[in-house]
This record gives sequence, structure tokens and C-alpha cells, in this order.
Amino acid sequence: MPKKETTSQKAIQRQVAWAVLGLVFLLLLPVFARYSDYVLQVFTHALLLATLAWAWNILGVSGSISLGHAAFFGAGAYTSAILSLDLGLSPWATIPLGGVLAAGIAAIMGLFCLRLRGAYFALATLAFVEIPKVITDNWDGLTRGSLGLVGLPGLPSLRLGSYHLDVSGSLVGSYYFVLSYGLVLLVLVTLMFRSNLGLAFQAIREEEIAAEAVGIEVQRYRLLSLLLSAFFTGITGACYGHLIRYLEPGLVYGLHFSAIPMIFAICGGRFTILGPALAALVLYPVDQFIFHPLLPAGHEFLYGAVIILAILFVPSGVWGQLRKGHFVSIKTGSIE
Amino acid sequence: MWTTAVVSGITLGSFYTLIALGFALIFGVTHTFNLAHGELLVLAGYVAYWLWKTSGVSLLFTFPAAVLVTLAVCLLLQRVFSRLSEPLELNSIVMSFGAAILLQNGMLFCFSGDYRLIRVPTFNQGLHFNTLYLSYGQLTLLALSLLVTALLYLLMRHTYLGKALRATIQDREAAALAGINVGGMGVLAFAIGAMLIGLAGPLYGCVHYLYPTAGLQATLLAITITIFAGVGRVRGLIVGGWILGLAESCAVVLLGASWREVVGAVILLTLLALRPQGILERKQ
Repeated sequence: MPKKETTSQKAIQRQVAWAVLGLVFLLLLPVFARYSDYVLQVFTHALLLATLAWAWNILGVSGSISLGHAAFFGAGAYTSAILSLDLGLSPWATIPLGGVLAAGIAAIMGLFCLRLRGAYFALATLAFVEIPKVITDNWDGLTRGSLGLVGLPGLPSLRLGSYHLDVSGSLVGSYYFVLSYGLVLLVLVTLMFRSNLGLAFQAIREEEIAAEAVGIEVQRYRLLSLLLSAFFTGITGACYGHLIRYLEPGLVYGLHFSAIPMIFAICGGRFTILGPALAALVLYPVDQFIFHPLLPAGHEFLYGAVIILAILFVPSGVWGQLRKGHFVSIKTGSIE
Repeated sequence: MWTTAVVSGITLGSFYTLIALGFALIFGVTHTFNLAHGELLVLAGYVAYWLWKTSGVSLLFTFPAAVLVTLAVCLLLQRVFSRLSEPLELNSIVMSFGAAILLQNGMLFCFSGDYRLIRVPTFNQGLHFNTLYLSYGQLTLLALSLLVTALLYLLMRHTYLGKALRATIQDREAAALAGINVGGMGVLAFAIGAMLIGLAGPLYGCVHYLYPTAGLQATLLAITITIFAGVGRVRGLIVGGWILGLAESCAVVLLGASWREVVGAVILLTLLALRPQGILERKQ
């Protein structure tokens, strides 16, 4: 059908145009924000949260809602921190290992949780976080317990030919590092969602029995989406540790890092590629620039309010809602 | 040592039952998971703490105020819950998770993040029976928890209203066909649940430190006991509360107090793994 194809191409062009515009804004942001370290710090953290939301959504797109991603975030952060502190390894080597351990934790979680669906899966993930948290809290010899880890090595500078990016030494360096990690993740997530793997995840979400009937091994794919999601969450956690250079069980295993990616992904649009990151890049700065000065204690009520409103009024997320009828759906590969 | 562990396990367990009763009732009647349950409990504790600290009234007089506050919040929550679309269980989890964050931040704003405890001097004194020691605090906790549980049992088993509630829990459509106002039962379940939380909150403030994020533990144990017992079974909830209380106090003796939280989580995960089809489906 030629007519449909042209609309679809137009829609793709429009989506690409928006993405390019957003990318230019993010690339130039340090130029505008040169006089305010705070603005740059906020957007660096917002980008990190965007990667967290994408990582969460790898599981979300296959239909499972996790309330326990802090387990992977904390495990990644602690693994990378301990390996680089105690063994003196370079953070570039320990960050992927953080992701691997997070995936290992996810495999254990999968033993408990993957037989469960919907609400019960969510409850199990919520309860599961306590296990790595309490272990980290009590394994004083390795993790220094509730004292936390201080003085984590920063990220070494990167050299690309003659260009030199001072990752941990300067705020601009940290910003561009997190931005490039975000872009790599965006490419990976896009490729994944458009591949057979992504189609299988979405088929499982839409109708498990039908997916099984066309030959998708449902449990294997659900495990795979959990492992991939945990792996990238662990990597983000590890990067967070080396950027903040301080870890504490209550901080990285806290409810915050379980709630935030879920809220961003659902508010932005669980079934879209850009939605989760857009929500992070809008909501976190709004929280920090507007509500934090107004309400130093309790400004995070914003996240509670937006998720309630989203579930009530835009269950497919703001970006998912906007995109209906205009953009290409990752769900069907055609116009919704 | 072990007798002390058993006694404190039963005491704590009875209190856990009291915490779980409201959760189980709301879930059974409306099929919504209220993850803000623990936050409501902590809120009731804060209200009692605030009254006790500022006006110096005895603990007994803080209960009505706590009940009123939780009643108001719960009825508001019920209005929002009733607008949820399918899948109800999952949407209610996500939404009440948001409500929990709202309440946590509200409490952080009103009461700051400092740890608070309602100190009732007489609660630390107690009775000695040979090696066994029972503090008045434990006795009060045990007596009040069992009293309220017994009252709820009487309400559910021996009144017409209780019959209607149980019918709604067992089969909503059949209950509606029999002329029971199922929506009204939902409001009622939230109201009774709020009263139970309002009664438990001030007690919670006496035995646990209050801080804005303390609620998650209470929510998890309410879920654990509810999943163990199934819905609409007050006696099952008591047994579940005792088992959890005993397991926790044994874990404290064997492993140390810092591992207590894991016990509840592992029990919940095991229960979920054993009953993957959920609480509502019953064996045919």
C-alpha cells in the first residue's frame, strides 16, 4: 500500500527530526550552561536516570513491571566500587563486571519471580531488594557495611585521537561521558526493539499464549529481558558510583532507584523508545529547578503525583499518547 | 533466651496480624493492593507522636485523632482507586506506590526525617515470671492487638454486615446479584481498614522508630501475611502473623537483629513461588 508507506516514512522523518533536535540541544547544553555548574550537574544526573529508565524498560516492554531495580543498581555500583578500590582495577574494566554481577543477581531473582505475572511479579521484585541490601549492609569485611564506601576512583580520562575528555575531572567531561553512554544505550535499545528479540518481547506482553503458540519460548525470553535489563541497570549503577564517588547501602538500594525508572518509563510511555528518557530529562530538572528550592524537604512528592496522574489519565504515557496516530509504533511497526 | 524469643515473637506476631487485617480486608473486597498501607501506619504513628509531644496527652487519647486522619486519607485513596482501569491489581500497585511516595514526602515535610519514638515510661517496666520477663509495653501490644482482631472476627462472622463483606470477598458478581452494594462494600472496607491502621499506628510509634520511609517494612509484612492466609480469613491471618513474628524473633536470636528484614522478604518470595497463581484463586 503506497499511501500508507508514505505516511509511515513521514512519521519516521518527523520522529528522526525531533530526535536530532533533542540531540543538538543536549550536545550544546554545556555551552549554554557554562556559567552554572548546577545546571550541568542536574542534566548529567537526568541523563543517567534516562539510561536507568531505558534499562528498566527492556523488561517493561515484555510486560513485567519491576519495583525492585534498585537491587541491580546497587549490586552494579558496589561490585565496580569494590573491585576498583580493593584490587586497583581500572573503572573501565570494573563497570562491565558490575553489569555482569547485576545480571547474576537477576538470574537468582528470576528463580523466584519468573513464574509470577503482573501484580505478583511486582510484589516479588519489591520484596527481593531487601536481600542484596541487607547482605551488603552486613558484609562489613567486604562492603564496609552501613559506613559506606568513600573515595571511589573517578573515571579516567578518555583519549580519542588527539581529543582528550577529562571524564571525572570536569563537569563537562562527566556530562559528555553520560551523554555518550546514553546514546549507545539508545542505539542498542532501538536495535533491540526493532529486532526479532524485541518483537518477541512485545508478543509476550500482548498475549503470552499466542506468543507461545507461534513458537516463542516465553520463559526463556522473559529471563533474557530480565537479564539484559539488570545488566544495563548494573552498568548505570556502576557509573553512578564512580561519578558520585561515595556509596552507601541505603542510598543505592533505596526505594528511590526502584521507583524512579519505573515512574519515568510509565509516565513517558512504556511502549515507546524515546518516552522513558524524555520523562527523565523533563521531570528530573523540573524537580530540581522548581520543586527543590520551594520544598527542600519533600520535593520528591512530584514523582508520586505524576505516576498517579499517569496511571489514571494517560496509562500509555505522555509520549505514547502524543505519538498515537502520528508516529511509528514499535508495537506494530506501523501507524497506530 | 528462647522463651523470651517465643514470647516476643507471639507479641510481635499479634501486632503484625493487626497491621495485616486492614490490608487483607481492602484487598479482599476491592481487589486492589494498597502499597501505601505501611505509610498510612507510619502517618498514624506520627499523628500520635505529634499530639503526645505537643500537648502531652496520654497515649489513649491519640487513638481517635490517628483514626480520623487515616480515615480521611483512606477515603480519599478509595476515590482514586475506584477510578482505576483493568488490570486492577497491577494498576493499583503502581498507583499506590505513587501514593506511598506522596505520603513519604508529605511526612518528611511535616515531621522531618529525624527518628521519633513515643516513649511511655511504664511500658519499660514489667512482670517477672521465673526466667520470663514481660514488659507492660508487650502486654499492651498483645492485649490490644488480640482485642481488635477479635472484634473484627465478631464483625465478620456474626453480623449481617460481615456476611455481606464476606460474600463480596468470595464472589463479587454473585454478591451483586444477591443485592449487595459491592461499591459500597469497597468504601466500607477502606473505612474499616483505615480504622484498623489508625489503631495500630500509635502502637507502632511506641515499639518502632518513626521515620518517613519506615512504612515499606510494614507493607511487606502485611502482604506476606495476607498471601499466607488468603483473603477473608481472620484466623489464618493470626496464624500467619504469629509464624512471621516467631520466624523474625528466631532469626534475631540466631543471626542477629540486622538480618531480621531478610526473613520477611524470603518468606514472602517463597510464598509467592509456591502460589504463583495468586491469592484470589482458590483450590478447586
